[in-house]
Amino acid sequence: MKDGAGFDELIHPATRLSIVALLAAADWADFAFIRDELGLSDSALSKQLSTLAEAGYVTVERPLSDRRRRVRTRLTPLGRKRFVAHVAALRGILEATEAAPV
Amino acid sequence: MSNSLSDAEARLALHEVERGRERVIDQIGMPAWYWWGLAACWVGLGVLNDVANAWAIAIATVAFGAVHSAVSQRLLAGRQRTGDVRVRADVVGRRAPLIVFGFLILLAGVTVAAGFAAYADGAEHPATIASLFVAALILLGGPRVMAAIRDHARRAESR
Repeated sequence: MKDGAGFDELIHPATRLSIVALLAAADWADFAFIRDELGLSDSALSKQLSTLAEAGYVTVERPLSDRRRRVRTRLTPLGRKRFVAHVAALRGILEATEAAPV
Repeated sequence: MSNSLSDAEARLALHEVERGRERVIDQIGMPAWYWWGLAACWVGLGVLNDVANAWAIAIATVAFGAVHSAVSQRLLAGRQRTGDVRVRADVVGRRAPLIVFGFLILLAGVTVAAGFAAYADGAEHPATIASLFVAALILLGGPRVMAAIRDHARRAESR
């Protein structure tokens, strides 16, 4: 799924990019928080998180200590690494365009 | 696919990346109950200083310090305003805990200064007056300190 020069096709689709970008700035985030911030349905978010989890980019936990039924998600070190590389690839595209002769 | 991605698409994707970070930065802060609780305890200690004996004041001060230390550690200097998300330390900034701690030290200093000023003016309950003044500063200034930390995080993002 990973393209050359850090561009990551798994992360790039708009919804998954929004999810990963949000998780990249947090240690963890609650499922409901991501759903509400991005205006997604439960099923849509579950589907995207499953895809990211299958690739090893995120983990989905259910803390036992919490009395409320929470689902906590976080980016894995691999997910973070791929996200950083993906952002660098996007910046690279812009820089290449700006550097190109008109 | 990256080769076929246009300049506009890359820009749009980077905008979404920034928006994701901003959504989390918006969550930096302390819960409202923290500031109200701190202000109430401050007034309580001020009143005790005027009416109670030295032992009661010492015990209350130590108890306040212990409880505040436990609570403020859990709140992690604005990283967990709610139970919904915990902001990464590098996003909040390394100086955020120092800024919050500095604010509390400043409040303690203002309390002492205001207490002496009220005492010099002949007030009957100088510590109570000083603590009420500082409680107002806590309620007005606390959220502003957190807003400044959020602004700092946004500026760091744009650099």
